[in-house]
Amino acid sequence: MAKYPRRRNPRMIISIVVITITILVASVSIMNFYQSEPLTLKIYTYDSFLIWGPDPEGIDEIVFGPFERRYNVNVSIERLQTDATGIITRLAAESSNPVADVVIGIDNILILKEITKSVLEPYISLNLNQINSTLVDYLDPEHYVTPIDFGLVTLIHSLSSINSTSNPDIQNMTLDTLAEYADALVTENPHLSSPGLAFLLSEIAISEKLLHQDWEDWWVTVNADISVPPGWTEAWSVWYESPSRLFLNSYGTDPAYSAYFYGAPPDTAALPLHHNGTDYAWMQVEGIGLVKNSPNPDIARLFIDYCLSEEVQQYIGVNQWMLPANPSVNLDPVFEFALHPEEVTILNSLLPQTEIAANLDLWLDQWDLIRTG
Amino acid sequence: MNNKRWKFFPILVISIPLLLLIGFIVYPVVYVILRGLLLELDTNPFEVLTSVLTYRAFTFNIVETLLSVGLTVLLGLPGAFLFSKIKFRGKGIVQALLIVPFILPPIVVVVGFIRVFGSNGWLDSIAMQMLGSSTSIIDLSSGLVGIVLAHAFYNIPLVILMVSASLNQLDSELEESAEILGATTFQKYRRIILPHILPSLLVASLLTALFCFVSFPIVLTLGESRYKTLEIMIYDSFLAVDYGRASAIAMVQIIITLMIAYSYFRISKKVTQEGSSSPFSKKVSLGELTLKTKAVLLFYFSILIVLVAGPIIAIIQAAFYNPYSHEYTLSGIENVFSSGTMGGLTPLINSIVYASLATILAVLLAIPLAYSRRYRFSWIPEVSTMLVLLPLGISSITLAYGLMIAIAVPLEIIWPVIVIAQTLIGLPFCAKSIESSVMKMDEALLEQADILGASRMQRLLYVELPLLTPGIVVGAVFAFAMAIGEMSATLFIAHPQNYTLAVVIYTYLSARRFVDAGAAALILVIACVLSFIIIDRLSESSFGEVI
Repeated sequence: MAKYPRRRNPRMIISIVVITITILVASVSIMNFYQSEPLTLKIYTYDSFLIWGPDPEGIDEIVFGPFERRYNVNVSIERLQTDATGIITRLAAESSNPVADVVIGIDNILILKEITKSVLEPYISLNLNQINSTLVDYLDPEHYVTPIDFGLVTLIHSLSSINSTSNPDIQNMTLDTLAEYADALVTENPHLSSPGLAFLLSEIAISEKLLHQDWEDWWVTVNADISVPPGWTEAWSVWYESPSRLFLNSYGTDPAYSAYFYGAPPDTAALPLHHNGTDYAWMQVEGIGLVKNSPNPDIARLFIDYCLSEEVQQYIGVNQWMLPANPSVNLDPVFEFALHPEEVTILNSLLPQTEIAANLDLWLDQWDLIRTG
Repeated sequence: MNNKRWKFFPILVISIPLLLLIGFIVYPVVYVILRGLLLELDTNPFEVLTSVLTYRAFTFNIVETLLSVGLTVLLGLPGAFLFSKIKFRGKGIVQALLIVPFILPPIVVVVGFIRVFGSNGWLDSIAMQMLGSSTSIIDLSSGLVGIVLAHAFYNIPLVILMVSASLNQLDSELEESAEILGATTFQKYRRIILPHILPSLLVASLLTALFCFVSFPIVLTLGESRYKTLEIMIYDSFLAVDYGRASAIAMVQIIITLMIAYSYFRISKKVTQEGSSSPFSKKVSLGELTLKTKAVLLFYFSILIVLVAGPIIAIIQAAFYNPYSHEYTLSGIENVFSSGTMGGLTPLINSIVYASLATILAVLLAIPLAYSRRYRFSWIPEVSTMLVLLPLGISSITLAYGLMIAIAVPLEIIWPVIVIAQTLIGLPFCAKSIESSVMKMDEALLEQADILGASRMQRLLYVELPLLTPGIVVGAVFAFAMAIGEMSATLFIAHPQNYTLAVVIYTYLSARRFVDAGAAALILVIACVLSFIIIDRLSESSFGEVI
């Protein structure tokens, strides 16, 4: 030993440690206690719900503040750090002791899983008549979830990088043409991203039902060249930053978003898939549902009614960049740049929900085999 | 002295950390796996394990791990010699910076990595300018190449720090004797240096193998679904609510990781016992080197800087640079300290409070664990070793999911579970650090205390604890760094009011708030670098001995 350490009274150190721990534990407990006061309605949703507007910080107060005051309740929008699938996993884990009252963001594919319905309770909203009934049919006729918004999943591209003047072949974007552009295409992992799954289902619907081909062939052709990042944000970054990646699988409202934030006619354009003189797109319908055995079911039902009313629906457009499920809402003028359901044939009708439910796991396994092959 | 009481006292003390480890690691993981295997009768575990997909994931997992370890050792070994043989100013700070990749949330690393090595990244832009090309030339951030490089980025520091610590223990008299006896340089390396560093090199390689084997975000992002590890299959299975498949694969994974972790602990025990750094190890200053050596050094350093420092610099730049408006801004830093809905203040406070609690807890648990190694000829050291290495060997996704369904939900507790999860992640390193202090403790001093009539309590408070202080400080800082960077468990369990900085980085990224994400990451980097500079100042031991 080179030198002995100076002798200090360890009792002091020990008491400091004990006091610090006590203070820390007490303050955290108190903080958490106050944040979970009893009359709080907990809403589970995915990480990017309503945050794409001009005021993401204040949006919860703007949209849900009136409801809080009307019913004297605290609405806590819990944006979980996951997509909608992760929320169902969480609700399933909590099912013995539910924390959340309402869940927002379950779409027309996720609802097909048995586990989804097992964590929800059907509710026919008093405001159901305000919602476009076609959407209800596409999403869930059994009313476990009710449509809150919808959007068309389609390819987009930047007009300054590629357009139908420079490349006339993209005007009618068939699957065959798209395969030739495989090294310019970005889509998302269908395991982890709902637009990614929508793209896979679009490809399956067109191949199997319109072209009468094996859907796997197309993926085998493009497999080496296509870019498939995990989620939409990563895919968007690849598309935005790599000049060679020209097409992104995204939403038909993207041109409107671009027009809104740049205040000019957008450089982004939607490019639906084409077959035999018709354009096609997949429709994603997102729903709101009551959690089974929710702690506050009555107020939760009122909250669902509220979300379907114009009071909430008017904010969907420029904050969520989806189309509101309530057709009486006036949209911002930029939505003229969006791809509208009337302009395309909806692919969902080619692929009945029962067929998706029966085959989804198999399709994903086959897709994995192609990708890793 | 009452001998009977003394016999059971150590068992009593050691049982507290062991019970916690059993309760918060063994129980949740076993619960999840058994539930998956027993309740999901429509999944046949045998079928899962023999499927083509599992086979591919397994093979890729092994290949990717071996290649990563190979590259890491290849690039790290010269650095280890540099660090132990050459004196230069600011060595402590470089060492502190080297450990940064180790504690960064992986998603941040991935983003920084793509910015440097991806197509249209920094390297690519330079190459494009040099060759006058308008299309991308270099893309080192995707596929197998990207995955292996990213793993090397993560783990090169481990090799450098651990092997250089071992080289520091080499007595230069040995080398000189060899020279006098006419050994060639090659013979010297082959007969003296290599045998000396072999155990630490093995330990570093095993630890690297362990991290690469359970690697998740790197393979998920850079692999673009063409490459899967077992961990990704577990994650996919949880998302698909296929608990049976998740369990079957998790079992295979655990068997392999535990084997690696066990060999790691076996060999690292040897390294720890070998003693402390030798005052006689040979060092040269930069000025004494020949021009040729300097040129080689420069070349090596530029590779190292591009690979290890590049992504870190990219993260720092991301904290201030808005890629849309192409402007520099301080809004990200402001956001970290703002208290709005999406602000970083609550997560920042959570990060600090949870990590502090986890650190204290880790130290309190690690001390008895460290002491348990002293009881030879008993089952205690074996059992405690096995349990302490569990956090290293168990897939973070399985553990996080287990903690959620087996503990957080039924007991309705959130933040204490987060704290405990963060504690357990740093515990192996914390325990090892304190253990090495315990091993170095001079028995004669303790006997003197006894002879001079000190009570057991006095001996502990006035003699043993002060002697252990350096080990405790290093262990505590390590526990803090691991805790503040912990992500998987917090991500699964937390409600938004419990989010930590490591978790909100995900929120920012998914909202394309890249500046805010960069700033949050930068704060984490600063916190960790500060911690490690503190270690360097306060203690005599180096990181290499701890890991």
